[in-house]
Order: sequence, then structure tokens, then C-alpha cells
Amino acid sequence: MTHTTQSPERRLVPDRNGAATAAPPLARTRPRRRPRPRSQLGVPPGEAWGRAAWAFLAPVTLYLALFYAYPLYRNLDLSLRDYTVRSFVQGDAPFTGLANYRTVFDDPTFAPALVHTVVFTVVCLFFQYALGLALAVFFNQNFRLSATLRALFLVPWLLPLIVSASTWSWMLNSDSGIVNSTLHSLGIAPVNWLTSPSWSLTSVIIANIWIGVPFNLVVLYSGLQSIPESLYEAASLDGASAWRRFWSITFPLLRPVSAITLLLGLVYTLKVFDIIWIMTKGGPADSSTTFATWSYQLGFGNLLPAFGPGAAVGNLLVAAALVFGLIYLKVQRKQALS
Amino acid sequence: MNRSARRRLTAAVVTAVAVTAGATACSSGGSSSAKGADSKTYTIWDPYPQFDKTSDWAKLLDGCGTEAGVKIERTAFDTSDLTNKALLAAQQGNSADVLIVDNPVVSTLAEAGVLTTTDDNKLDTSKVNPNLLAAGQSGGKTYGTPIGANTLALYYNKAVLKKAGVDVASVKDWKSLTAALAKVKEAGKKGITFSAIGTEEGSFQFLPWFWGSGAKLTALDSDQAVSALSLWKNWLGKGYAPNSVINNTQTTSWQEFASGDYAFAENGTWQLANAEKAGFQYGVIPVPAASGGDAAAPTGGEFVTVPVQKDSGRYATTQKLVSCLTNSQNLLETDTTLSYVAPTTEVQQKQVAANPKLKPWVAAVQAAKGRTSDDLGTKYPKISEQMWKAVQSALSGSASPKDALGSAQSAVK
Amino acid sequence: MTHAPTIPKRRNAAWVKTSLGVLLTAVMLFPVYWMLNVSFTRDQDMRKSPPDLFPTHGTFEGYRAVLDEQLPYLGTSLVIGLGTVVLTVALAAPAGYALAKLRPRGGGVLGFLLLVAQMVPGIIMAMGFYAIYLQLGLLQSVPGLIVADSTLAVPFAVLIFTAFMSGIPGELIQAAQMDGARALRTFWSIVLPMSRNSVVTVSLFAFLWSWSDFVFASTLANGGAHEPITLGIYHYIGNNNQQWNAIMATAVVASLPATVILVLAQRYVAAGVTAGAVKD
Repeated sequence: MTHTTQSPERRLVPDRNGAATAAPPLARTRPRRRPRPRSQLGVPPGEAWGRAAWAFLAPVTLYLALFYAYPLYRNLDLSLRDYTVRSFVQGDAPFTGLANYRTVFDDPTFAPALVHTVVFTVVCLFFQYALGLALAVFFNQNFRLSATLRALFLVPWLLPLIVSASTWSWMLNSDSGIVNSTLHSLGIAPVNWLTSPSWSLTSVIIANIWIGVPFNLVVLYSGLQSIPESLYEAASLDGASAWRRFWSITFPLLRPVSAITLLLGLVYTLKVFDIIWIMTKGGPADSSTTFATWSYQLGFGNLLPAFGPGAAVGNLLVAAALVFGLIYLKVQRKQALS
Repeated sequence: MNRSARRRLTAAVVTAVAVTAGATACSSGGSSSAKGADSKTYTIWDPYPQFDKTSDWAKLLDGCGTEAGVKIERTAFDTSDLTNKALLAAQQGNSADVLIVDNPVVSTLAEAGVLTTTDDNKLDTSKVNPNLLAAGQSGGKTYGTPIGANTLALYYNKAVLKKAGVDVASVKDWKSLTAALAKVKEAGKKGITFSAIGTEEGSFQFLPWFWGSGAKLTALDSDQAVSALSLWKNWLGKGYAPNSVINNTQTTSWQEFASGDYAFAENGTWQLANAEKAGFQYGVIPVPAASGGDAAAPTGGEFVTVPVQKDSGRYATTQKLVSCLTNSQNLLETDTTLSYVAPTTEVQQKQVAANPKLKPWVAAVQAAKGRTSDDLGTKYPKISEQMWKAVQSALSGSASPKDALGSAQSAVK
Repeated sequence: MTHAPTIPKRRNAAWVKTSLGVLLTAVMLFPVYWMLNVSFTRDQDMRKSPPDLFPTHGTFEGYRAVLDEQLPYLGTSLVIGLGTVVLTVALAAPAGYALAKLRPRGGGVLGFLLLVAQMVPGIIMAMGFYAIYLQLGLLQSVPGLIVADSTLAVPFAVLIFTAFMSGIPGELIQAAQMDGARALRTFWSIVLPMSRNSVVTVSLFAFLWSWSDFVFASTLANGGAHEPITLGIYHYIGNNNQQWNAIMATAVVASLPATVILVLAQRYVAAGVTAGAVKD
């Protein structure tokens, strides 16, 4: 690093106690403190500039085209044709337009699957984010062992999903599960976690929150690290309580990272099928079926795969993610302009 | 889109990939494709991942290869994965030379045009028991030969029955079985465990009761069918069977039985070896039919099939390989390792001679019925899916047995 | 940092925090403990009711099987994991920089496509890769699996880099607004070092995802000479029976070395951040 590029950073973040400020301050979201002319936001016009930018983007664009275009095209193609196992192998399925989508909409599973997908996604997302953020703030205090404990939080991610989901279904087993035996010793009646239609969705939500918390913790923790200590020092001198400091400094400054965490969390949660599939197979009686498990059930969960409708359900999920992506883009643009 | 257009697109993608991948791929690795393999290498896919490279099974395959003068490349898949992998490989023109699959999948693969018939591949199926071969037949053609068979029966724990004062000889029909379960429960033990999970396993386990009631797969909503499902439902309601059966795989159900608390467990031939290790005295009886006699149980076990190849010259060697795998001596060894019953009477007799405990199982296999038999073929998967859904709905209490089976039948149509 | 006024109180608070942290971690890792417990359990005790909290009649049967058969796969998994990390960061960091700071026309669309890309179900991706790799002869090869595993992480990485790099103040970038060469130098000597946190985050997840990947491994690497450790689980999933203590033991053996890497990496990260501050 040269001194010329470094000095503005120094000026920007007066570092009173020499604490870690290697990470950048999230300048753009802090107009209150340091209003700047928009020309400094780094949106320079010019053709040469655009070319340079695309040079940086070229590898990833090529990569996307190479590895995602074909599967995406294939999923679309599967959903628009009348695939039987025979035509899947021979590759001569007739084009049937939106017939598969109509089949899916008319299916009695559609309405419950939609409701479960929404409930599953919203509840998981809320708890994963809230718990992840609380833990990130907690671990950001750098007490003894904090780094090690934070690392241990990631251990669930090292396990293949087949193992972690099976462990959950083991613990939640109605008769020999540890959860019910603990409830029993506390004098609470056992719950049929996985085998009762009124509990199965709750059970898979709990397991999925467990899986999702470490992701939120790590990403939000990195976000916290990027907030300069000096801001807290200043607020502390003003006599702001910890609660106030969180709402007036941490939360607003974390907004871009929060937004992307939630968006990614949404995409991943919509897509979750392994956990539910291993724990309940979407049952009993469709009570924990979401679009993702339904899509898998249709396409692969049967001796005779129905690729067409399966892909159609999958594409509905892609469409849902598209909508949320658009919302994100719009919000982000508004934020950038404000 | 037709095949050539798909090919073009793939080719375009592939060329592009090749440019970049060339940089990352220091070694392109050994090709596993049958097309890429030379005429001296033959591929075999099986659903036995539990057997590694040093197992007897792998050695048997290599031995048969050596006998036929070719090298064997074996890949083992999880059985639930194998259907999709086989379809995908066939779509890409990369089918294995020999494919060993679960028997109800044969009709699906045959329907897909993936498999050759015995007319083409010249396999000799004359010695195979007809009821076992039926699972591999559809539309008057035979698509493979069974490597071994298994079926379901009731294991019982002698100590538990003794404690409850139940004589196992008294269990002859559903009524006496239920009475025995009631006694067991009174004695403070647990009645029966089975698997009613929402997959093919659940249907497999329900079928002996379904068929034992006199019901037919073409009419899921018959009164007999309702009576079979009501039997299970009733057991759960009275606490004779644990609630966990709704989510039990056959392995989980076996683990429950192995805990030593249960009087009965519905499970398969393949658990014999584990039963010996369980540490208590056990016995086996056939699943009783509703009003006495033995219920027909479904046949389990795998078929050896020969997928279609572009180069029809390969079939001659493949035929040699399959004959080697299914000759009497090798069947005996394989089925002993798998804890299966052999598909031919000759080998079955040898098995019983070597291990008298197999006797009830041989009888059960001889009386068993293929799931895709009765020319149901690819209709079976749809029926089966609705059946396990109905079982799940009824047992979990979200619908009555009658309503559950009623909506199952209307969904099949 | 705490802001407690007196020192003894602060030390006290630190201990409270550490114990609370340990407690939270224990709750979080209870399912992992349960997996460990099952891995030691004898077959006949697997579904004992009520279950044993500790494997009192422990057996090493599962581990014996695993240690005999599985160790060579660990190396493969490690190579694949590290390869995935390098490929992911190399592809995604420049892209994140461009999207966050250079903002070319059409960049938004690309970011959008990245989001869509993540929605393609893994199994469909795997089927696509199978078709492509079959033509290229990349099936059952380590580089092939690295590229496939990186698709789990690249869109995520680009979006994360974009979010984090957009926080780097514009002043720093402006000094280098002249041409492409300068842009590259800015990226290398300013943006990348300042993005250490996001590089670490992305690397962690890229590694974790490839380490625990099952779908790509079973579609693209099954039967090859180099199989990752997750495929080892297959050895215990028979066509009729699953050997659960060995399956869980495989998971334990598979996660131990990776856990050590994680803990060490976290320490390095913590140290790295402070060291960076001093160097600045």
C-alpha cells in the first residue's frame, strides 16, 4: 500500500485507540455523519472505464454461461415438454407449452405446498437472521475463547446434510428420541415431532434454523468487523446505552450486509429440500411439503419419475427468487441514490 | 427439441468448456464411459455400495471378467440413486454393460427403452422360479434375470412372547395376532414394529397385509383394502405399534426390534445375519392373511439386466458375464453374502441344506408375488405412491382409512 | 470491547461472557454430540427407549470400519476443498469489485443472473455437469469436481464481495480512475487487502460446501480413483440396510480434520485483523 492511497482512509476513520480498523467503514450508508457529493461514489462514466469493468467481470460471466446456462436451459426445457421415462432417454418429448404448469396448479398438493413454503421460508429466515445477528454481536466482543467458539459454531456445516438431518430425525423420534425422553423426565407429554401432521413442519423448521444460524453468524460477524470501533467510542462518550448503540450504529451500518444475508438466506431457504426430505419426506400427508420437496418428489422420489411437473415446480421457485431479486435491486438502487 | 438439436447445444457448451477446463484440468482422468471404454473393458453398475473393492462380490465380478477375457469396471450406487443414474446414462448413450437394479425398477427401465430383452441378449432364464421372474416381465417380454430374492415375514422375540404368555402357534390370522399383541402390551412390553414411511419401502411393507386382506392393487379403495389399513391404524391407536412407524425405514424398524422390547417385527430375509447378532432368541413366521393362511408377500431383490448398447457386438461378451454371475455356484455364494434366497429351486435346496434356518424364507419366497406382476408394469409406481400416501394419511390421523384410500384410488386414475 | 467503568467488573463480565459463549456453543453442538454418541452405539441400543445419554456400552466397531477404509479419501477432500476456495475467490473477487465499484452498464443484470443461478436445484446442475463432463472425459477427475463444487460458492461469493466492497469509500478508488491497468493495480493493492474479511468469509463457505458436498460427488466422482470422503458414507448404506454407527463415524472422522482447520483459520483471522491494523 502506498501512502497516497492510505491517507484518506486515515482521515476518514480517526482511530483513537489503535483498535482494529483495517476493514473499511461502510461509508455509503452513513450520510448523516459525513455527507459527500455523489461524484465521489465511484460511478465514473466513460467507455474505457466500462471496458475495464467488464474485464473484471469476464471470467465470472464466462463461467456463468458455461456452467449454469445449460442446466437452467435444461430445467426450462424439462418443464415445457411432456417427458416420460422413454422420451427422457430418447430425447423426443413433444413440446406441450405450459401443460405441466397447469398440471401443477391443478394438483391438490399445490395450495398446501405454497402455504408451507411461505411459512417455512419466513419463519426460518426470521429466526436465522435474528439469532445469527445476536450471536454475531455477542461474539464480536472478543472475550476469551470467542474466536474458537465462533469457529465451532461452523462445525454443523462440515457434516453432509444426510448426516445432520438424520441426526435430527434421530433426536426427534417419537419413541426413542432424546427430545421426547427429556420432555418425559420434565413431566411433559411426548410430542410426535415427525409423525404428526400438526408438528412435522415445526420440526423441519427447527432443524433448518439450526443449519442456517452459522451462515448468518459468520457473514454478519464479518460485517460487524467492518464497522470502525471509533464510532462506538464516540457514542459511548455521548452516554448512549448498549441498546441504543446497537440500533443507531450497528444496525444501520450493517444494512448492506444484512440485505445480502437475507437475500441469500431466502434463496437457500426456498431451495432447501434435503433436510425436509430426509426427516419427513414432506409428510405425513403432505404436512411438511414445500415446493422444493414437491419438485424432488415428482422428479426423483418415485420409481417412475415425472420430470416435467417436477421441473415446473422447480421453475416456480426460480421465478419466486427472481421477484425477490428484483425487489432487492430496487431497494439497493434507492439506497444508493439517497 | 429433437435429439440432434440438443446435441448441438451440448456440443457448443462443451467446446466452450473445453477451452477453460483445459487450463484447470491437469489430468483429464480415466473415463468411465462405456463408449470411451475399449472393447476389452466392460462396465457393471450395482446397488451394493456396502461391498468395497476387496469384497467377495467385487472379486466375483473380476473373476467373471477374467473368464470372459475382459476387464471389469464396477461402480456401486445407492439403490435409490440408481434409477436416475441409469436413465441419465442411457440418455447420454453411456449405459453400463451390465446393470443390476431393484426388481420394481425393471419395468420402468424397460418402458424407457433402456434394457434389452432376453430375446436379444440370449440370457437363459429357464431355471428361474416363474413367480420371481414375473417382476422382470412386461408385455410378454423378459428383461433380465434375478440375482437373488427376498421377501417379508414376521420375526418374533421368544423371550418377550414367553413373558406375555403367548404361544406363537396360536398366531394364525389377524384376530389372533391382535390378541397376542394385546397380551404383550399387558405384560409391559411392546407389540410390533414395521415401516410405514412415505417411500417405496412403506408400500413394500404394507403389501403383505394388503394382499392378505384379499385386496387387489387395481382397486385401492376396496373394503378389503380398508380393512388392512384399519388393522394398522388400530394397532397404532391401541399402542400395539409405536407411533414412530410412520417415519420408520426398515432399518429403523429393525433397530427397534433389536432393542429387545418388541414381540414382533415385520422385516426381510436380509436381516437374518443381524438377527443372529441381536443377542436374543428369535423365530420367524409368515405374515398371516386376514382369515388364516399365509399372506402373499412382495418379492424384493435385484435383477441382472443388460442395457441397450450402440455396439451390439458387446452383447456376446455381456451374456457370458451374466451367465457367469448367475450360474448355480456363484448364485449360491452371492445370495449367501447378501442374505438372500436364490431364484432357482436347485440353489434354494443347497441353501437350505447348508442353513436350515432359511427354510421358512425359501417357502415365503416361493409364495411371494412381484409388485409389478399381473402386468401392472409401470402402473405400479403410481399405485404404490398413492398407497404409501394413504397409509401415511391414515396412520398420522389426517384422514380415515376409508377416505385416505378413496382419494388414493381417484388419484391413480 | 466492553465499556465497563472499573477493571474488576470488566474481568467478571468477561468470564460471564465466556461461560455464556461456551453454553451457547454447547447447545448449538448438541446434535453433533448426538451424532458422536450414535457413532459409538451398538446396533441393539440404537433405538433404545429411553436413549442413553452416553454410549455406556460403547463400541468402536464403526470406527474400526471407517479407519480401515476411509482415510485415503480425506486427502482427496482436502485437495478438492482448497481447489474450490482458490477457484472461487479468483473468479468472484474481481467480479465483486467491478459490480460494487466500477458499476458497468449491465452489471445489475449480471448480479441478477447470479441470484437466479443459485436457484437451479443441485441435482439438475449435477445432471448438466454429467452430460458436459462425459463429453470432456472429466468424469471421476479431481479438477472436474473442483469446478462443479465451485458452482455452489461462486454466485454467493460474488454477491458477498459486492456487498462488502461497496462499503469501501469512493475516495480510495478515485485515485485510480484513469484506465484498466490502474484499476487492476487498485484492485490488487487496495481493494483486495481491505476486503480481507470477505475473502475469509467466502473461503470458509467455499471450503465447507465442497467438503460436505454429496450430490456432485455421487454423480460425478462415484467409482473413480479419487473419491471425496462424503462418498465413504456409501459404504455403509446397503441396498436394504444402513449401518448407522459407521455412517456417523464416517461423518465424525470427516469433520475432525476440517474442524481443526476451521479453528486455526479463525485464530489466524482474528490475528490477521489486528496485525493489519498495526501494519497500517
